[in-house]
Amino acid sequence: MSPESRIGPNGRDDDVTRVLRQVYAAPADPSYWESLEARIMARIRGDSDGWWMPLSGWGPVGLIAAGLALVVAGLTFTHAREEEARLAYEMVIETPRSLPQQVAAAREGTPAREATLHFVIAP
Amino acid sequence: MAATTAPQLAPCMPDVPAENAARANERTLVLAAQRGSNDAFASLVRLHERRAYAVARAITATHEDAEDAVQEGFLHAYRALARFRPEQAFGAWLYRIVANAALDIGRRRKVRDTDTLPDTVALPFRDPAESDELRRRLGEGLAALTERQRAVLVLHDVEGFTHGEIGQMLGMPEGTARSDLHHARAALRRALSDLWSER
Repeated sequence: MSPESRIGPNGRDDDVTRVLRQVYAAPADPSYWESLEARIMARIRGDSDGWWMPLSGWGPVGLIAAGLALVVAGLTFTHAREEEARLAYEMVIETPRSLPQQVAAAREGTPAREATLHFVIAP
Repeated sequence: MAATTAPQLAPCMPDVPAENAARANERTLVLAAQRGSNDAFASLVRLHERRAYAVARAITATHEDAEDAVQEGFLHAYRALARFRPEQAFGAWLYRIVANAALDIGRRRKVRDTDTLPDTVALPFRDPAESDELRRRLGEGLAALTERQRAVLVLHDVEGFTHGEIGQMLGMPEGTARSDLHHARAALRRALSDLWSER
């Protein structure tokens, strides 16, 4: 008999399917299933009795708090950077309290070259 | 005629009112389990553990791995129960999770056992009198299939899942499940062809 002639209208070989069903048959003993159910439920109870379970309800609250903390940290960082930049600009823009001698000499109307010499040789 | 040479397996005819009642009962259990009832979840385990095992067994290589996958699957389902929408079919959702657990166990085993790949699929012979040539050759034929082809073949021909359900469980398009089934059947037919011609 050719293999093709064994194929039923649904495309499967019923002899092969029958053997496959025997091979992959689930255990028939009801006590096996009771024991599997008991093991599954024991794992689930163990899981739900875990120390982290009381905290699991706080999950959404924790997420919101973490989000708020991120926003606050971001705002603080931005504010600090702006303050830093403002101070840096102020240091550059602010008039120096003691003018260098070179600038002071230039204000007195002396030529630039002479003012430089004064600056270099000044003690 | 194929119908006269190979006896046909009886198709399952669904009983619609009983199915609706079962679904309503299942929904009640799911809602109770979502409210924290472990008894309700135990009832869901009782309702689905056999089918869940069948799904896992089709994917894993051994009974022990299938059992692990079922336990893992139920545990994951329990943890994710709050995210399950009760208007969905609980079974379909659960079997996807179990299939995923089984695939994960298979991947881990593959990494562990790369040096010792078997050249045949271990068939659990319960009755030594049944261990005939067909079973031996079937084991070799199954071992020659890819893991996915084997899973699709067993889920469809043995467990009666549709191509669409298999596609959802294994995370692939329905057409791929259809094509895998076609190739798996053809490969098994080739592997057993001389056995048929001897009979």
